[in-house]
Amino acid sequence: MTSSPNNLVIEARGVQKWYPNGYHALRGVDLSVHRGEVVVVMGPSGSGKSTFIRTFNALEGSIRIDDISLGNDLRQIDAIRREVGMVFQQFNLFPHLTVLDNLVLAPTLVRGRSRTEVQAQALSLLDRVGIKEQAQKFPGQLSGGQQQRVAIARALCMEPRILLFDEPTSSLDPEMVREVLDVMRQLAQEDITMVVVTHEVKFAEQVAHRVVLMAEGNVVEEAPPAQFFKNPKHERTRRFLDQIL
Amino acid sequence: MNPLLRRLRADLFATPADGALSLGLIALITAAAVGLVQWATQRAQWAVIQANSTLFAVGRYPADQQWRLWLLTALLTAATGVTWGLLRCHPRADRDGTLWPRNDLVVLALLAAVAFWLPWVLQLTPALQSRWWLLAALLAATRWLAGRFGSQLSRPVLRLFPLVWPLIYLTGMVLISGGLGLMPVSPSQWGGLLLTLLTSSFAILLCFPLGVLLALGRRSDLPLLRWISVIYIEFIRGAPLITLLFLGQNILGFLLPGGLAPDRIWRAAWVLTFFAAAYLAEAVRSGLASVPNGQIEAARSLGLSYPQTLVRVVLPQALRVALPAMVGQFISLLQDTTLLSLIGLLELLGVARTVMANPAFLGHSAEVYLTLALVFWSCCAALGLGSRALEKRLDPQTLSRSSSQP
Amino acid sequence: MPDPQASLDPLDRPPWWRDRRVVPWLVQGVVALLLLVLIAFLLGNLVHNLTTRDMLLSWRWLGQTAGFDISETLVPFNAEMPYWRGLVAGLANTLRAVITGLVGATLLGTLAGMASYSRNGLLRGLTRTYVETIRNIPLLLQLIFWYFVVFLSLPNGSAALQIPGVVLAKSGLYLAGLGQGMHWSLPQLVNGVWQAPLRLSVEFAALMSGLIIYSGAFIAEVVRGGIASVPKGQWEAATSLGMGWFATLRHVVLPQALRVIVPGLNTQYISLAKNSSLAVAVGFTDLYSVAETTLNQTGRALEVYLLLLGAYLAMDLVISLLMNGLNRFVQIRER
Repeated sequence: MTSSPNNLVIEARGVQKWYPNGYHALRGVDLSVHRGEVVVVMGPSGSGKSTFIRTFNALEGSIRIDDISLGNDLRQIDAIRREVGMVFQQFNLFPHLTVLDNLVLAPTLVRGRSRTEVQAQALSLLDRVGIKEQAQKFPGQLSGGQQQRVAIARALCMEPRILLFDEPTSSLDPEMVREVLDVMRQLAQEDITMVVVTHEVKFAEQVAHRVVLMAEGNVVEEAPPAQFFKNPKHERTRRFLDQIL
Repeated sequence: MNPLLRRLRADLFATPADGALSLGLIALITAAAVGLVQWATQRAQWAVIQANSTLFAVGRYPADQQWRLWLLTALLTAATGVTWGLLRCHPRADRDGTLWPRNDLVVLALLAAVAFWLPWVLQLTPALQSRWWLLAALLAATRWLAGRFGSQLSRPVLRLFPLVWPLIYLTGMVLISGGLGLMPVSPSQWGGLLLTLLTSSFAILLCFPLGVLLALGRRSDLPLLRWISVIYIEFIRGAPLITLLFLGQNILGFLLPGGLAPDRIWRAAWVLTFFAAAYLAEAVRSGLASVPNGQIEAARSLGLSYPQTLVRVVLPQALRVALPAMVGQFISLLQDTTLLSLIGLLELLGVARTVMANPAFLGHSAEVYLTLALVFWSCCAALGLGSRALEKRLDPQTLSRSSSQP
Repeated sequence: MPDPQASLDPLDRPPWWRDRRVVPWLVQGVVALLLLVLIAFLLGNLVHNLTTRDMLLSWRWLGQTAGFDISETLVPFNAEMPYWRGLVAGLANTLRAVITGLVGATLLGTLAGMASYSRNGLLRGLTRTYVETIRNIPLLLQLIFWYFVVFLSLPNGSAALQIPGVVLAKSGLYLAGLGQGMHWSLPQLVNGVWQAPLRLSVEFAALMSGLIIYSGAFIAEVVRGGIASVPKGQWEAATSLGMGWFATLRHVVLPQALRVIVPGLNTQYISLAKNSSLAVAVGFTDLYSVAETTLNQTGRALEVYLLLLGAYLAMDLVISLLMNGLNRFVQIRER
């Protein structure tokens, strides 16, 4: 993995975010993500990690970077959303569409691709996440783990440049966590750029290129997993690791 | 003990008090039923309905132009038959694909019975009687043809088929009011069931888009749109319909430049539309509220624009949830058309009141009003049944329940 | 955005028609403009049309002699009195109908709602039939039925229907009550005419029968929904304590169901108040009926309409306020 500047997929500097009630959620966050890199974001609840990755998708208000408001151009926001895929904690599959139609909807509407072409791609993606035979079912008929794998396939179907995961395993039953993590591991091996907010330490240790700790709306520590878990620099990281390990 | 007897006992005679209550109720119901049957067969004189059946059906629509209404009825019948058949031969994955399920046979038998029985009761002329039979035969035939050969139709044809309905509606408007080479029949000559169905269908069709827009406005992030919707909805819902009809009849003329105000019947139809839209908006709003925010976020994160998100993701889910409440509003809208009789329009109830003013029929108001009640009850109950069937067909949950079993 | 670098460029300011801070205001501005144009157009026409007819807003006619009579009133009124007294008398009649209707419909609806949870299958079936029949027939038709078919065909004099304490005759509904000298007295036939401490006109009786039975069906559904919202475990717990069906319903289930019932009742009460305007169809002189007569005599459409609308909106508001107060009370007790 090289880190030349033109390989940069995301470069955020000094991201600020206030909620309408005045809560200062992000207080100048810096983060760079390179092509093919897997970054795991950890942190206690309320540390702003979900808010942060949602700013990449313009789902959470406007971003302030270096004291200048950006991301107010509606056309650019749409463009960003097309190129950034997102997987949610609650899956958010469309319950009124079949699994296949969940995948086909956006590429046909947004990219204007032909239905037959997208369908073929969708079926191969479903095959990749191991649920090809469920393509004609409705989301309500699938288990949580299956739904989350469909959600990943749905995001991939738009061929995004980067995939964001917002606590993808937090609302799953324990026995279903693994099947979802396996899919994510497989994606990492295929050099898909990912930013993952999660509490899964093992996944972070094995898959991440870098682990980031956020607390109180700031990035506290940013290090390769070996260093992050074995030999953290900051006191705050140590305390956090004590709590979750 | 026989299970039926055991159930009866548990249901009706569980305790002495229950038993006494049941006996009392049985006596009461029997007495009422016997009284009603006796009255209907012996004392009631249904001649008032027979003599005025045309008036009840179409009001003062000119007799030599009534073929247009028959033609429209035939068109509607054919379209109903084809739609029905197509629905059956393209069942959802979870339904059995029988061409003639038992429900359909029952409905068809019922319709046939009505088609044969009604002309006899009304003592229609043989010419009219045969028309009813032809209509019943047409329905059965189109239903059978569409069910038999519908599966051979190509996908684009099936997709375009629903357009037949608005087309028939527009054709119907032309047939009823004239124009395009047909002799014009002024709205003041429309009446009876024709006027009731015309105004209610007009209002139902138009209040739907208006109500959805108002509901979206009420949930909008833009304060101005929200306030306009709230003020409109609350204003309309605060006033009795009769005062709004009054507004339409007496004040609309002042609000528009001279000569622009439509005919009285159209004014009333528009008032009904605007009235129903406010109530419908509230039904749709509850549906919108039931769609989780995550659905919008997911659609937006896939790159769908706001209108695309609304049309493809939010509305399909919201309208399905709102469906029972919406049909409830349509049912009350159909009932509300009776208020047109209070501003002097001759819809069903208005016709009934003019008939009752004729001294020849003095003392037979019970027959007329009970018949009207039966007509309204059947229409409303049919709407309710249809809504429940549609709800079941659209609900992915029933689908998952029935087919996820091994 | 192919290159994410672009969005980080501080100099990148979007054109105004694509700026997400500007577009919402743009949309609202356009809507406001359209709305203002529409209102100006309608108001302009109104003023123009009224001026040409010399009918611009004026309230002086309220003081003119009405010249019509109202057959039954709570406040004194006769044909020599001005219009505004007539409108007040109409309002009083409307209030009387609404309040009586509210009480009656609540009682009937609550009973029917409770009966739909009875153990007796026959009673359950009967309430179901009642609700499904009444809700699918227009109220106006029901009112006309009660008036023309039931009440106007009642016999008069000694042939009138008599239940102890109540006499139903074509000339009215006579009830026992405290008569002259605070004595309990029953309806009596004096020279072929019924006399009683309390007499209701058939018009009022027909209106009440129709309104109460119609609204009762809707309230029954509200009550049924409320009872359904109480978990089944509550029934089982109460029954296991040895409580009977009625005691369980009255002391355990209904108090909890009120949380759901009260908001539903609010809607039903408001629609009952509005539906009372259909009194005009059965000849009971309520506010709407007085307003209609007034309009026909004076031609003051706009003024009469504003008065009518104001009165009904105020009535809705009062009902809503009272029910919201009740709602708060019920919700607090719940916790």
